Amino acid sequence: MASFHAEPTTFDRLVASRAAEQRITLLTQASLLRVNPVSHQVEPRLATAWTSSPDKLTWTLKLRDGVLFSDGVPFTAADVVFTFDALYDSRLASDMASGYLIRGKPLVVRAIDDRTVMLTFPSPYGPGIRILDGLPILPRHKLAAALAAGTLRESWGRSTPPSDVVGLGPFVLAGNTPGQALRFTRNPHYWGTDDRGRALPYLDEVDIEIVPNQDAEMLRLESGDLDVTNDFIRPEDVATLRSLASQGIVTLAEAGVGLDPSALWFDLAPQSKVAKDRPWLQREEFRQAISLAVDRQAMVDSVYLGLAVPIAGPVTPGFDDWYSADVAVPVRDLARAKALLALAGLTDRHGDGILDDPAGKSVHFTVLTQKGRTDRERTASLLAAQLKAVGIDVDVVALDTNALVGHLTADDYDAIYFGAQTSSIDPADLPQFWLSGGSFHLWDLHEADKPATAWEAQIDDLWQRQAASTDDAERHRIFATIQQVFADHLPALYFAAPKVTVAFGSRVHGVRPSVLQPPVLWNVDSLSVTPRVAGR
Amino acid sequence: MTSSLVAFIARRVAAALVLVAVVSTAAFVLTHLAPGGPLTDVLIDGGDKVTVAKKWERLGLDRPLVTQLGDWVGGLARFDLGRSFEYDAPVAPIAREKAANTARLAAVALAIALIGLPVGVLTGARPDGWLSAVITPIAVALVSCPPIIGALGLLWLAVSTGWFSIAPGSLGVPSLALALPLAATLERLQSQATAEALRAPDVMAAAARGLSPQRVLWRHAAPQSLRPVLGIAGVLIGSLFSGSLAVEVVTGWPGLGQLMYGALAGRDVFLVAGCALVGAVVLAAGNLVADIVRALVDPRTRLA
Repeated sequence: MASFHAEPTTFDRLVASRAAEQRITLLTQASLLRVNPVSHQVEPRLATAWTSSPDKLTWTLKLRDGVLFSDGVPFTAADVVFTFDALYDSRLASDMASGYLIRGKPLVVRAIDDRTVMLTFPSPYGPGIRILDGLPILPRHKLAAALAAGTLRESWGRSTPPSDVVGLGPFVLAGNTPGQALRFTRNPHYWGTDDRGRALPYLDEVDIEIVPNQDAEMLRLESGDLDVTNDFIRPEDVATLRSLASQGIVTLAEAGVGLDPSALWFDLAPQSKVAKDRPWLQREEFRQAISLAVDRQAMVDSVYLGLAVPIAGPVTPGFDDWYSADVAVPVRDLARAKALLALAGLTDRHGDGILDDPAGKSVHFTVLTQKGRTDRERTASLLAAQLKAVGIDVDVVALDTNALVGHLTADDYDAIYFGAQTSSIDPADLPQFWLSGGSFHLWDLHEADKPATAWEAQIDDLWQRQAASTDDAERHRIFATIQQVFADHLPALYFAAPKVTVAFGSRVHGVRPSVLQPPVLWNVDSLSVTPRVAGR
Repeated sequence: MTSSLVAFIARRVAAALVLVAVVSTAAFVLTHLAPGGPLTDVLIDGGDKVTVAKKWERLGLDRPLVTQLGDWVGGLARFDLGRSFEYDAPVAPIAREKAANTARLAAVALAIALIGLPVGVLTGARPDGWLSAVITPIAVALVSCPPIIGALGLLWLAVSTGWFSIAPGSLGVPSLALALPLAATLERLQSQATAEALRAPDVMAAAARGLSPQRVLWRHAAPQSLRPVLGIAGVLIGSLFSGSLAVEVVTGWPGLGQLMYGALAGRDVFLVAGCALVGAVVLAAGNLVADIVRALVDPRTRLA
C-alpha cells in the first residue's frame, strides 16, 4: 500500500508530468533505458544495447525481443517512433516536449526494422542517450487514431476505463476510485527479470491511496496501514518515526544529501522597486556579507536536527561527481561581514545597533517564505536572528506557494527563501535555473534578451559549452567552473542541504532509497513485502 | 396552492438565484485577484517559459478578466462551468463527482445526527433526570466544538484505538465529525422545545385526561416540539455543508470541500467558481425547501 498526495489528472505522462502522473508511469509504462537514480548509471530497459556515431549525434538502439504490451500486442520500433510523434505533436502540447528539444530542435527518430531504432540529435548534446530516461513508450495500436484526430490529450483521462490504459510497465491499472484509491495488478506480459532470472515484479498488486497531506500520511504510516509514502520525511517527523522504527513498524533509511536545498535570493532585476529604493540590496558585497554572517552549522543543528550538511551553493554533495568540493563553504566571520557592509556604504550612523544606508534609512528587508514548510520558516527566522548580529533588521513573512510565486513573478519582493524540485543531477537538465533567460532564474526572472551581468554571460556561455560537449570529463570541468563563478557572485545564498530520509513499512523489502523522486517506488518492480499477520 | 404561497416561492427562488450568481461570480473574481496565479507548479518543476506561455494560451488565461468572466457566465447558460487548469478537464463532471461524495457524507452524518431528536425529547421530558445530567454537558461541549476540531480528535482516537479506519474514503471519522455537533444541536433544540410543548394547554389537557406519560410525551408533545426544529432545518443543512468543507480537508474525504481547497491553492479559477456555484446551489436549495415547508406549516411566514 502506497500513497499519492494528489489524484492523477491523466494516465498519459506526455499530457501532464506532475508527481502522480510520474509515479503511475513508473507502475504502468516503461522507457527505453533508465538512469538509475541511486548509481546514476544508464541501465537497459526496453532497449538492450546501443551504439553511437563517432560524433555522438546518431544513436542506434536494439530493442528487447519478445516484449508484449499488457494487452498482449507485440512492442516494436513503430511504438518508439509513435511516442516521439506524440511528444512533439503541437496539438498535444506535451509538458515533456521542451526537455526533448536540443537548442529548440527535435530529435529525429526512425525505425530501421521492428527491433532497431535510430535517433539523431540536431546538434551535439552532452547527456546523449540519457535523454531517454523517463520517456514512456506508448502503445501505437491504442493511441494512433487519437493522435491523428488531435484528441490524444483526452484519451487517457481520469475517467478512462482501466483496461484501456495499456503499457509495458510492471503493473496494469485494475481499478480507479477517483479521489480515493487506485489499484494496480501485475502485468502478466512484463518483460523484466531479476539477477537470478525470476520474473518481475515480485508484488501481485499495488494499492495506492490518495492521502492529500503529509500529516494524514504520517498517521497512516503510524497505524501500519501504509507501506510507502509519497515523499521524503520532514525534519519534524523524524523523532516520531525513530520511535516507530524502534517498535519495528517502519524502517528509516538515509538516501543521501538532498538535491533541492532552499535558497535565499534578492530581487536583482534592474527594473525592480528595490533597485530604486534600496540599491544596496542588489550589491554583491551585501550578499557576501550575509553569507559570512550566517552560521550554517547552527542551521544544520537547530533546523534539521543535525540531518543536513552546510553548503555553499545549489550543487550539493548529493549531485555525486558533479559536485565541486573546491568551492569552499563559508565559515561565519562577523568582522569580515561588517567590513563588506561598510564597503557597501552601510554603517550604524544612529548608534542604535542597526545599520543605516547613506541616505540615513535603516538597513531592513523582508524575507518571503513558504507557509507550511517548517524547515523554510525556521531557517528564515534563524537567519533574521543571526543577521541582527551585524546590524541588519529582517522581517519574515510566510505565504502560500502561489502567493509567494506571485510576488516573485511580479518582481514585488525584497528577498525570498524558497526552492524548487530537481529531477536530475545532470546540469544539462537544469537550464531553467542556470541560464539567464531561464524560467527559474530566480534572482532576475524576466532577464530575456541578454544577460544582465558579465558573470551571468560567462555562466550562460559555460553552460552551453558543457551541454554541447560529448566529453564527460570536459563537462565536469566546465561545471566546476560554473559553480565557482556562482560562488564568487552569490546571486542566491545557500546554507544547508538536508539529508534525505525515507520511511517505509518494515515489511517492505528491496528498497533502494533515492534522493530523486520518487524515493522508493522508482524500482517498484523489485519491491516485495512480507504478508501481513492476520488481524493486523 | 394559494396565490400568496406561489408569490412567496417565486420570491424565494429569485433570491436563491441571486445568491448563487453572486457567490459564484465573487469566487471567480476574488480567486483571479488573489496574489499568485495558476500553473506555478509547472514553473517550480522547471517548466520552460514557452511551455508555460503555451499552456496559458491554451487555457485562455492570457485574456482579460472581463472576457474570461463573460465567457464563463455565457457557458453557464449551457451548463458549462469552464475547464479546470489543474485537471485539464471540464469542471462540471469533476464538481458533480465530488459533490456526490459530499452529499453521501452529509447524508450519513445527518442520519447519525437525527439521534439527537429522540434523545432531546427524553431530556426535555425530564430536565432534572439522570439522562439530562449526563447528556446536557456533553451536548453543550459538542455544540461548542467546531467540526474541524472534532475531526482532529477523532483522528487521534482512530489512530490510538483502531476503532475507525482512517483510510481515504472511510466514512467513520468524517461523518462522526460532522454528525456529533449537529446531533448535539438537535438534542438541545429538541430538549427545550419538548419542555415547552409539555407546558402547552392541549398537552396538559391530554395528561389531565389520564393518558399515560409516555403517550403524552411521544404522541402529543413530541410532534408539537418538532415544529421549531423544522424551522431551522435550512440553517442546519447549511452548517452541515459548510462544516463538511473543513472536515473533508482534514480527513482527506474526496468531496467538494477538498476539491475547492486544492483549487484555491492552485488558483484554479474555474474550478473554484464551479465549486462555489455547486455549494451555493445546495445551500440555496436547502434553504428554499426549508422556507417552503415553514410557509406551508405557518402562513405568517409567507408575508416575510
